[in-house]
Amino acid sequence: MMASFCHFPASPPHQSLSKLLSPLRRPRPHPFLPNVLCIFNPNRNRIRAGSQFRRLSLSSSSIALPPEELDSSSLGDLTRPDFPILHQEVNGFNLVYLDNAATSQKPTAVLKALNKYYESYNSNVHRAIHSLSAEATDEYEQARTKVAAFINASKPKEIVFTRNATEAINLVAYSWGLSNLRSGDEILLTIAEHHSAIVPWQLVAQKTGASLKFVGLTKEEVPDIEQLKELLSVKTKIVVIHHVSNVLGSALPIEDVVAWSHSVGAKVLVDACQSIPHMVVDVQKLDPDFLVASSHKMCGPTGVGFLYGKSELLSAMPPFLGGGEMIADVFQDYSTFAEPPSRFEAGTPAIGEAIGLGAAIDYLMGIGMQRIHDYEKELANYLYLSLLAIPNVRIYGPAPSETVHRASLCSFNVENIHPTDIATILDKQHGVAIRSGHHCAQPLHRSLGISASARASLYFYNNKKEIDVFIRALKDTIDFFISFQ
Amino acid sequence: MSSLSSSLRLFSPKLRQTFPKSPFLPSKPFFFSSPISFQRLPRSPLSEPLRAQQQHQRQQREAEVDLSVLPPRLQEIIALFQTVAEPKAKYQQLLHYGAQLPPLDPRFKTDDHRVRGCVSQVWVRAFRDADDHAAVRFEADSDSALTKGLAALLVFGLSGYPATVVASVPPGFVHLLGLQQSLTPSRNNGFLNMLKLMQQKALQFYSEVGDSEINGVSESKGSNSGAKDGVLDDKNTILGEKTDKTGKDSIFGEVSSANWSGDSLPFGDLMVDGHGMNSADGVQKSSNGGIGGRRERIRQRLERELSPVELEVEDISYQHAGHAGVRGNGDGETHFNLRVVSKEFEGKSLVKRHRLVYDLLQEELQSGLHALSIDAKTPSEA
Repeated sequence: MMASFCHFPASPPHQSLSKLLSPLRRPRPHPFLPNVLCIFNPNRNRIRAGSQFRRLSLSSSSIALPPEELDSSSLGDLTRPDFPILHQEVNGFNLVYLDNAATSQKPTAVLKALNKYYESYNSNVHRAIHSLSAEATDEYEQARTKVAAFINASKPKEIVFTRNATEAINLVAYSWGLSNLRSGDEILLTIAEHHSAIVPWQLVAQKTGASLKFVGLTKEEVPDIEQLKELLSVKTKIVVIHHVSNVLGSALPIEDVVAWSHSVGAKVLVDACQSIPHMVVDVQKLDPDFLVASSHKMCGPTGVGFLYGKSELLSAMPPFLGGGEMIADVFQDYSTFAEPPSRFEAGTPAIGEAIGLGAAIDYLMGIGMQRIHDYEKELANYLYLSLLAIPNVRIYGPAPSETVHRASLCSFNVENIHPTDIATILDKQHGVAIRSGHHCAQPLHRSLGISASARASLYFYNNKKEIDVFIRALKDTIDFFISFQ
Repeated sequence: MSSLSSSLRLFSPKLRQTFPKSPFLPSKPFFFSSPISFQRLPRSPLSEPLRAQQQHQRQQREAEVDLSVLPPRLQEIIALFQTVAEPKAKYQQLLHYGAQLPPLDPRFKTDDHRVRGCVSQVWVRAFRDADDHAAVRFEADSDSALTKGLAALLVFGLSGYPATVVASVPPGFVHLLGLQQSLTPSRNNGFLNMLKLMQQKALQFYSEVGDSEINGVSESKGSNSGAKDGVLDDKNTILGEKTDKTGKDSIFGEVSSANWSGDSLPFGDLMVDGHGMNSADGVQKSSNGGIGGRRERIRQRLERELSPVELEVEDISYQHAGHAGVRGNGDGETHFNLRVVSKEFEGKSLVKRHRLVYDLLQEELQSGLHALSIDAKTPSEA
């Protein structure tokens, strides 16, 4: 066995080898990923051979495998083959997709589910008697159950399918907000909220006479939790807050925020768009009144998202959109309405897409959200430290530490170079896809004193090698512009 | 022998592919009179000459821009970019242009001068040429180096020409630069919005010239509220008086059919979405909405409102078929000759008569009618 390793050609390591030799911190079989089974079966002989091989590689110069390569990026390398879109060239370079906070890529399992829906049982749901419709309805409702299980909601009917998180927030604002807010009431948000969490409340505040209050940032560039506690009062009717920031990469102590808010009688709406795809989110533990997320950020198709709402709250809320499906009886001048969740699902839903979201949840559960979170923690630190090492780069948000865990994204600026210039050259000259702009967080950018920033955001199918490519490309891009200044 | 010729035939198509044709270079010789010197840059190891040439050809095939409507300096710039094959070198050239652009006086960095739809901040300023009152000059600035480069292209390419020439520049020329493939769509939108803002500002100046010459009124100081009337006036002047129809008509058609809201940026939807290029296409696409019978509609409208003694409505769209403004509206109805003799024109200046007709035909102008040539007389004049 060892002898065969010695004869291994000194070529760049290919994935199967690194997979074979990656040290297994948590070796356990993965029933949902059969192709992984043979590699992850704890095999003591292999591990021993691996560690010996590593020792060999350090001493022998003919086999050029740097030690870091062996234990890095195991989840990324493993899952990459499931994402066909990642294997392409842009502008002559291998695509390095680092814009996952904007949208995620979809594994073949999800694509297959979508296709299967349209090929075998596409039919309108809840309406017809025939077999196709029954099957579609079953799958659609099963997707709802999967979403509920994914966030540990107690009942599937606490999940309302919407078009996306933005629509879900609008639903709460227009349905709950318009009937519960009045002049003098306060809506508490942070300055780092996404526009979708701010604008609907501005519109509703205008209509009701309520006002918006904003929590600012600490000098560590995290929303100021102490200030939040101070701003909470009996006038606060709802707190609208993100779980993980799409710009700062920080995570907020939602459990605490909910506890404090409830103690003054305020409801809490949690924007979980950037948390749900990357970590375990348990609504029974966090106890929010409402929680929203989008499918397309969690390996699911676009066009579907969901609102989680406590059933007693949803039951008391008036309809948002009117139409078919959400009614009980329709007369000429009035109608009676269905129970939630149907009450908030007017018209034909994105059936295939909801089923696709269900398939995405299956895929993610197959890997395990904790596993994804742990792997991304590694990526997050690696990205942050690599960026920090480049001169004149300013990263926004808190520095990672023992107590502060950053999401696997970095928004940053390079001194004297516009982020759009950076993003353009990264794309055209290196095939690296990042985002530049205000990331739908203009108030946040204003409070940071900038007009725009660049952002690289990762997901579990990225790996450290890609971060290395990005860093090299960024340095090259910076040199390109500096040489003209 | 025959086998040789057949093998030659086999090879020749390939050869044609590898050598770029350049049908769009101006046929007459031009001089590098611009202040920018072009230096051959060392070939980067990232270059892919064959791929770049193929893309170059694709753009040429896609771009159906009539070079003759472009001002000479812009043509030079286009030719310059076409000789640079590598994207990286094109960017370096773009940055060179940007570096030549003098910084804009901060007092002009206002919303009035800001180009919407840009991911970066861009400001554009137009002013009358000190030596040639018919010509307009531009200044621009941006906090993004690449956008500044694009702004510089426009500033250097369009400054010093009459407003009519500037306004006639079709946005599609950007395809000829070969930068389009190398730029993200959002940047292209910024480019187009910059161009449109410059064209709009140029027309503002032109209308002031028109007003003062025709009405003997003192020039307005470039106020935006004057823009609405001013542009219609100048359009009438150009189209009513001149008898030669060129591609310029189509651009004015586009300009006048945009939403004049009286503020600095009439292309409201363009700015908000940042989809400048799509909106330009959109204008052309929307002209397909004319269901036909435009001639009838024009007749009816003018007859109802002006009770003319004489009325002739002639569809001359076929004379303009094929140029940029008409593309996308294959069933004609874009250009008309009007001869109207009516008592309603009594006491009105020529400009006011034309404006009256234009106001009556606003709906048509917004649904694909590109240009009118108006002969407006009172019964006593006819």
